[in-house]
Amino acid sequence: MTVMTKMKGFAAAAGLAATLLTGAASYAVADEVTLTMAVPDWPPTRIMKKFFDEQYKPKSGNTVKLDVDFIPWPDFYTRVNASLTSGEQKYNFIVSDSQWLGAFVEGGYYRKINDLLDADPEFKKTLMNIHPNPLNAYSTYPYKSENYYGFPQFPDVLVNFARKDIICHEEEQKNFQAKYGKKLPCTGEELDAMTWDDFKNVGEFFRRKKGEMLAGAPAEDDFYGIAFQAGKGYDFSSMQINGFIWQMGGNIWDETQAPTGQAEGVVNSPEAVAALEKYLSMLEYMPPVAKTGTMDIFKSDELFREGKVAMNIDWIGLGEASLDPKSSKVSDKLVFGQMPGTMGPDGKMVRWSNIGGQPFVLTTWTTDAQIKEAVEFVKWWLSDDIQHQFAAGGGQSAVKSVYEDPKYVTYRPWNRAWAPQLDWQKDVWHVPQFFELLTQQQDQFDLAITGKQDAKTTLDNIAKFQQEVLKSGGLIQ
Amino acid sequence: MNASTATASPPPLTRIAPDNWKLAILVGVLVSLVAVLAAPAAVSFWIVGAMAALIAAAFAINAYRRKYYGGLLVAPAIAVLFVMNIFPLLWSLGLSFFAYQSNQQSIRFVGMANYVKVLTSELTATANWLALINTAIFVIFTVAAQMVVGFLLAMLFAKQFPLRKYLLILVLTPMMLSVVASGVFFTYYYDPTFGILSYVINALTGQQFVLMSTKLGAVTGIVFADAWMWSPFVMLLVLAGLVSVPKYLYEAAAIDRVSKWRQFWTITFPYIRGLLMLALLFRTIEAFKLADLVILLTKGGNDTMTISYHLIRIANEQNKTSEGAAISYIMLFMVIVLTNLYLYLANRRSQGA
Repeated sequence: MTVMTKMKGFAAAAGLAATLLTGAASYAVADEVTLTMAVPDWPPTRIMKKFFDEQYKPKSGNTVKLDVDFIPWPDFYTRVNASLTSGEQKYNFIVSDSQWLGAFVEGGYYRKINDLLDADPEFKKTLMNIHPNPLNAYSTYPYKSENYYGFPQFPDVLVNFARKDIICHEEEQKNFQAKYGKKLPCTGEELDAMTWDDFKNVGEFFRRKKGEMLAGAPAEDDFYGIAFQAGKGYDFSSMQINGFIWQMGGNIWDETQAPTGQAEGVVNSPEAVAALEKYLSMLEYMPPVAKTGTMDIFKSDELFREGKVAMNIDWIGLGEASLDPKSSKVSDKLVFGQMPGTMGPDGKMVRWSNIGGQPFVLTTWTTDAQIKEAVEFVKWWLSDDIQHQFAAGGGQSAVKSVYEDPKYVTYRPWNRAWAPQLDWQKDVWHVPQFFELLTQQQDQFDLAITGKQDAKTTLDNIAKFQQEVLKSGGLIQ
Repeated sequence: MNASTATASPPPLTRIAPDNWKLAILVGVLVSLVAVLAAPAAVSFWIVGAMAALIAAAFAINAYRRKYYGGLLVAPAIAVLFVMNIFPLLWSLGLSFFAYQSNQQSIRFVGMANYVKVLTSELTATANWLALINTAIFVIFTVAAQMVVGFLLAMLFAKQFPLRKYLLILVLTPMMLSVVASGVFFTYYYDPTFGILSYVINALTGQQFVLMSTKLGAVTGIVFADAWMWSPFVMLLVLAGLVSVPKYLYEAAAIDRVSKWRQFWTITFPYIRGLLMLALLFRTIEAFKLADLVILLTKGGNDTMTISYHLIRIANEQNKTSEGAAISYIMLFMVIVLTNLYLYLANRRSQGA
């Protein structure tokens, strides 16, 4: 209560002070421009800052400084939200989860960049060189419209992290073949060909108690076949469940169909219910923390790095730690593949998945002088050379000419799963009500994950809530 | 200070003078009203602020001229209290009657609609009521656990025994740790794969034990962590009462051969009753606001959402400012009723005794 009220109380004062400050900064010295940026504190943003400091030479001849505020991930949304809504106008650039676009565009904080694209064909070309799926996810509001807002900072997808030493073991291979009549996937290509049913088999097959034989030696601790996100926090189950729903022919409320598209009947369609049931059916083969609703992306990653599971579906963004022997017991035993898919009726694999990663956006109070430098900076950031360096340093690139380069797959072992999956990425809603929709949905999914209600009830509740919220928001007629 | 002699002749309302606070209030209210009605919000905000400052200045000059130095001395404290506390409180009370979201530019007066919505709306009220019920569960169990454990610890440490001083420091440590540190510690303590609790129980029973997988387990886990952290606080208060009991009372009781039990109720308890009440009051108010441990241990999962955490999500994450303000005021009202009930019972008891 107090934080909120104080925030409002001082909003006007802070806003005035900020205007005076930024005004003074941009007029006093014409050839020094500072761009202030709010970013989450993790390697992809640290690398960007490092590259900027070491390599960036502005074409205009001005001195350009990038003043970066590194904010820890768990606080990131709260801090950005507080900064924007208080009106302090502190940041010129903000790294933003793609779902936040609507809320902050409607609030008048994020700057539309169509005029900048039209004024600078080179800039437009740079942006259009990005794969359309990430571009739509990171830049457009309403989703898939022609209104552009952001530039990819760190694009990300879900991939399959797997343990070579376990799944390629001869004995295990033989037993798996005998039990399921199918080869236990071992190479990257075999992982790519996995369906969720195969994934579930792996889960069932590798559930071992402490002391039972595992890959030729007694297991030191209980061992589990599979893991994926099933946590209540933020979006730590929706991001996985959406993929299941899309792959099995269902849909979430589709904002590109607004205002005629409905939530009720779509969100809780029989396909969606079947998809959620499939998702839930795998939890029993996962480490027991999955039953508590706290197995988020960080927990499943930790379990994997500690050597407790054979396969984990997680974001590439968390991958660096698993390769580092200091933070990973399995650093030398890894193989990566695409996230499992669902076999379509035509015999082709359907691989829809929820896109991860973040764009960065410009704010509306950024001055003309700052915008000029900001555009140059973005062009530099998205240039092939820098994107290659970024990918080589542990980032990812959604720029076509970069990820299509044969060199790209050599940077990191998961890069082989990157380009093919880009064609299958979709995003969750960009509408201003996203947080309301997300928290209610996460609460409901948590009830299903912890075994308190079935898939049908869960999706019925979500559909009903979304229908009412979106109706009152004018997004459903 | 010496009010009766100094205020012989209060200035008449119409006289223009820097110490005429009545006139200052009149002018301040009139100008503020005009400003609020005529000027845009961003301007009228500052005009009203300037008027408040004018009235405050008139009071200060008046106090100085009439030698109310006592009043002048506390004035800075009152000013800070007003700016940091009372003003935001009133501001949010005001907001609770408007439809307002901090990430949208529009604002509209809706009267009691926010209160009606958070208490009765089909869409949102259920979650509020569930969170309130959970909060009540946590208040009852955490406070009860802390009172009992804290009291017993105090009884233990009131006696002299070897290593008492060091043990006391050890027992007080949880209270001094940051909540985040304790939360992370307990997350691992309860974790079914890495945690010692599951490890021990699995070894004893041979069954997979996952504490946080049921509501009962999750509530137990949170209550235990909270009691671990805050029992020492209750202990400290009770211990202060225990050491203040004069020794000669016990000596006299021993001569009269009064039983230990009776000694406790007639000598010890009256000395610590006030402090127990204080501990109960503090801990109840704190427990009512419980959010940190829930966020760290369950994220509100397994039906452990408390009203405070729910409020954080509504006001700070979903930016539904005025709805959040309405919930805050309902919470404030409940806490005030609860504390007054306590105080009333405490007073009646002490008058009866």
